[in-house]
Amino acid sequence: MQSFLKLSVLFLIATVCHWAFSTLFSFGGMSVNIMLVFSVALCSVLKPEWGYSFSFLSGLFLDFFGTKLFGNNAFSFTAAACVVYFLRERFDFDGIFPQIITVFFLTCLVGILNSILLLWFTSSAMWPGGINLVSGALVGALTAPVIFWGVRRWWLGKRN
Amino acid sequence: MNSTKNKLNKKNQPTGTRRRFLLPILFLLGAFLLMILPLEGFVSSVKAVLSYVFIPQIRAAHKTVKYAENVHQTVWELLRTHQENQELKQQIEMSRILSVQAQQALEENERLSRLLELEPRARWNGTWAHVAYREPTQWNTVIIDKGSTDGIRERSAVLSLEDGKEGLAGIVVEVNENTAKVLLVRDKDFSAAVQLSRGQETGLLQGGGASPVRIKYIPLLAQVEIGDEVHTAPTSSIFPAGILVGTVSAIHKADSFQTALTVEVEPQIRSSAVKEVFVIYSGE
Repeated sequence: MQSFLKLSVLFLIATVCHWAFSTLFSFGGMSVNIMLVFSVALCSVLKPEWGYSFSFLSGLFLDFFGTKLFGNNAFSFTAAACVVYFLRERFDFDGIFPQIITVFFLTCLVGILNSILLLWFTSSAMWPGGINLVSGALVGALTAPVIFWGVRRWWLGKRN
Repeated sequence: MNSTKNKLNKKNQPTGTRRRFLLPILFLLGAFLLMILPLEGFVSSVKAVLSYVFIPQIRAAHKTVKYAENVHQTVWELLRTHQENQELKQQIEMSRILSVQAQQALEENERLSRLLELEPRARWNGTWAHVAYREPTQWNTVIIDKGSTDGIRERSAVLSLEDGKEGLAGIVVEVNENTAKVLLVRDKDFSAAVQLSRGQETGLLQGGGASPVRIKYIPLLAQVEIGDEVHTAPTSSIFPAGILVGTVSAIHKADSFQTALTVEVEPQIRSSAVKEVFVIYSGE
């Protein structure tokens, strides 16, 4: 029960941060996917049951705002969670560098996957542009250490 | 026993692995289904259900961000206000200084205006000077901002003004090129031949330092009363005659063995009131 409450609060914090970043720190079409960063950070510490659920729900939350397709973010976030759980056995996510690299590439991956899904299901491309995608991924990657630290501190109750 | 455990582990392992893969596959399938279904109908129902969860969340997020924006604005305004406050404080401080300077200038102007109405200029040849320095430990000595280049010589009489009346302030005791030291009337070393206004008796006025200024050697039968004016005597070799020195403040009657009166004088020019002085050129 406590874990569920913790997760709910974290989800609320993630939505607030995502909202804040998308309204305050996005310039010229650049979109910073903070929900994904939270999702990746949580998957690095949570059991798969919780991690996949959180990722799926985070994706649904973003899908909620979409008008053309519903479920694409849920799909790509779940796929990203799969990647994190695959990498978790090989990388140590305690280090800042793996956190940054993972978030950067997963943001790019989610962006590309979303565009492909949109193109496939709606026949309308939603390609945000290479520079916007990379710059958004970069900003997200730079926030990763802070979010990872916060999530670990919140969930595990330790500093690293 | 061990064999039973191993059997159980073997049974659990595939279940755990299956669950591990099952969950993401289920989620991916679910998402895929949501994508392929038309937005109307089932998907819109799902959205409607989710709206109960997400809309309050979105509102909370929106409010939080708005609040954060306001906090940012408030902090910015606070910083700006702090900066303005500092500037205004400086301006107030500057205004205070200016106000004090203006007040001093006003007072000086008032004093100088009164000085311009003085008679010494008409009666004696001399020069005006400001008190440039005053040693706190020697209150009865001042240094003025004019010296030998301005024609000031030692033993020159120094006048000043208080309460609209001119009076003897002291005597020049040291002269430098651009400054001069003036010994004020109240100083212990000061002395001058003076004359009482009522009976025209003359005597020697001596400064008392912390004690009152006194006139000695006034004849016992002299007509003198408290409040009588005391002027410099014509017999004085230093001071021109007729300069107001002060007023009689006390009279000490003679004891049986004394042959003269001692009169206490309140100087016209108090030591602390000396700010601008008129130095009479020697030999006038």
